[in-house]
Amino acid sequence: MLKEAVSRQPSAVSPTLSEIKARRRRKDLLWNTLAYAVLVVIALILLYPFYWTLITSLEPSGSIYEAKLLPRGLSLRNYIEVFRGTTVPFWRLIVNSLIICTLGVTLTVTLASLAAYPLAKMRFPGRDLIFYAILVLMVLPNEAGLIVNYITTIKLGLLQQTNPVLDAARQYAAVVLPGVASIVGLFLLRQAYLGVPTELIEAARIDGARELTIWRRIMLPLALPTIVAFSILEFVAYWNSFLWARIMLPDKNLMPLSAGLLELSGTFSTNSRAVMAGAVITVLPILVIFAFGQRYFMKGIEGAVKG
Amino acid sequence: MTTTKGRESRRAQHVRGAQGARVTVRSTLIAYAFMLPFLILLVLYHTWPVFFGTYLAFTKYNIISPPEWVGLENFRTLAADSQFWAGLRNSLKYILVVPVIQFLSIAVAMLVNRPLRGIGFFRTAYYVPVVTSFAVVGLIWTWMYQQDGPVSAVLRFLGLEARGSLLNNPATALYAVMFVTLWKGIGYYMVLYLAGLQAISRELEEAAVIDGATRWQVFTNVTLPGLRPTILVCSLLSTISAIKVFEEIYVMTQGGPAGSTYTALFFTYSRAFVDFQYGLAAAAGLIIAVISILFGFINFKLTRGGKADA
Repeated sequence: MLKEAVSRQPSAVSPTLSEIKARRRRKDLLWNTLAYAVLVVIALILLYPFYWTLITSLEPSGSIYEAKLLPRGLSLRNYIEVFRGTTVPFWRLIVNSLIICTLGVTLTVTLASLAAYPLAKMRFPGRDLIFYAILVLMVLPNEAGLIVNYITTIKLGLLQQTNPVLDAARQYAAVVLPGVASIVGLFLLRQAYLGVPTELIEAARIDGARELTIWRRIMLPLALPTIVAFSILEFVAYWNSFLWARIMLPDKNLMPLSAGLLELSGTFSTNSRAVMAGAVITVLPILVIFAFGQRYFMKGIEGAVKG
Repeated sequence: MTTTKGRESRRAQHVRGAQGARVTVRSTLIAYAFMLPFLILLVLYHTWPVFFGTYLAFTKYNIISPPEWVGLENFRTLAADSQFWAGLRNSLKYILVVPVIQFLSIAVAMLVNRPLRGIGFFRTAYYVPVVTSFAVVGLIWTWMYQQDGPVSAVLRFLGLEARGSLLNNPATALYAVMFVTLWKGIGYYMVLYLAGLQAISRELEEAAVIDGATRWQVFTNVTLPGLRPTILVCSLLSTISAIKVFEEIYVMTQGGPAGSTYTALFFTYSRAFVDFQYGLAAAAGLIIAVISILFGFINFKLTRGGKADA
C-alpha cells in the first residue's frame, strides 16, 4: 500500500515493508515446514520402539524382532498367555503395584504437605537450620543408600516371614518407606504454601482455628494444583520403580509390576512376545495418567527446577 | 508458660517478622509435630545411610556379625582390584553422554519452543520415554537391538553391518546402552530447557532482532547466556547420573559382555548383593560419591557458577 510512497529513492538498496513481510512469510513457511519435518523425525525415533513393541505383542507368530510398520496378523494370544502361563501370577503383580502406588503416593504427599506447612508459614527455633539441613541432604550423594537401606530394612524386621498377611503388609512397607520422605516434594509444597496470603492464616488463627484445621481447610485447597502435580509425579515414580523391590523382596509374589516384568522375561525366555505384552500392560497406566495429567505434570517438573 | 509481658514482646517480634505465628513453646511443638513423621523417615532413609555408609566403608561387614573396623583395607583391596578399575573407567567413559544429551536437548527445546500448531503434542510425545520404567525401556531396547531387529535394519540402511545384537558385542555394548540413556533422557532435559527458554524475556530477543542480529547472533548473545543457569543444573544432573549409571546396565547387560558395560556402581551392587561384602561395597560407593562431588565441582567451575552474564 505504501509501496510507491516509501520506495522512492532507497528502493534499490533496502526493501519495502511489504516486501520484507512477504519475504518473512516465505521464510517462516520454509522454517516451519522444516521444523515439522524435524519434529516428526524425532517423534518417530522416540516413539517407534513403543509402537514396535505394541504391534509385535499383538502378532500371533512370525519372526519376532523384525522391523515393521504394521503387525502381521492380530491376536490377543500373548496377552492371555501372560496372565496364564507364568510362575508369578500376573494379576497379582498388578494388584501389588496398585497397593504400592496407593500407599506410596498417600504417605509421600501427606507427609510432605504436613512438613512443608511449618517451614513455609510458622516461626519456630531451628526452622532455617532444618531447611538448610534438608537442602544439603539433597545435594549430598548417597551411594551407600541402597546398601544401608537394605540393612535398615532387615534390622527393622520388615523382611521377616511369620504369617502371610503380616508378611505382605511388612514387605509392602519395606518397598514404600525409603521413598516416602521426598525432599523435592517438600520443596514444591513449601513453594506453593509461600504463595498463600499470610493474612488468611492470621485471620483463621484469630478466629481460633487449630493449625491442623488451617492446614486442611486453607493450605491444602490453595496448594491443590501443586499437590496434584506432585501426586502424579509420585505415582509415576512408584509405578516405575523396580530396582529396590527386586533387590530386597524375598517373595516374588509381592513384587510390583515393573520388577515382576523382569522376572517374566526370565520365565518366558522362549516367548518374547508374551513379555512384550507384559511390557505394554506395564506402560499403559502411565500413559493414561500422563495423558490426563500432562499439564500438571509439566508444572510439577518446572516447579521442581525453579523451586 | 509465658507471662503476659513476655507475650507482648513476642507479639511485637512477630509483627516485625514477615511470617505468621508467634514463637511460643506451644507453637514450636506444633511446628515440630507437623514435621515429625517426615523427619523420622528422612533421618532413617537419607541421613543415616550417609553416615553409616561412610562408617561401613572402613569395616568388614556381612549383616550377620557386627561390623569389624579394618581401616583402609577396603580401599587397598579396591586399588588392587582390576574389575573395580575397569568399572570406574566405563563410568567415566559414560560421561561422553553428557555433552551429546545437553546439545540435543537444547536443540529440541528450541524446536518445541516455536509457536507452531500442535506443538503440545510433540512436547508430550517426547516425554513418553522419560515416564517409562527403566525395566520396560531396558527390555524394549534389548529386543530392538536383537539380530535382524529394527536397529540392525537402520544400520544396514546406513551401510553398516551389525552381526548379532550390539549388546552382545564387547566393542559396541557400552555405546548401545549409552544410546538408550540418551534416548530416555532427552525429553527430561528438554522440559528443563524449555522452562529456561521461557524465562528468557521475549523483548530481549526481539530487541536483538530489531538491532539487526542474525538468528545465530541472537542465539549466542541472548539465548545461550540466558540459558546458562539451566545448563549448569542440567549438565550437573546428567554428569552425576552418568557416573552413577546402573539401571540400564542392570536390565540390559548385567555388566557384560566380557565386562564391557561393567560400571562402578554395578561393581558396588554385585559386591553388596551378590557377594555380601557390604564394607567393600560401601567403600566403592564412597569413592563414586567423592568422584561425583569432584565432577560436580568441575562442572560448576566450567559453567562459571551458572551466572547469567557471559
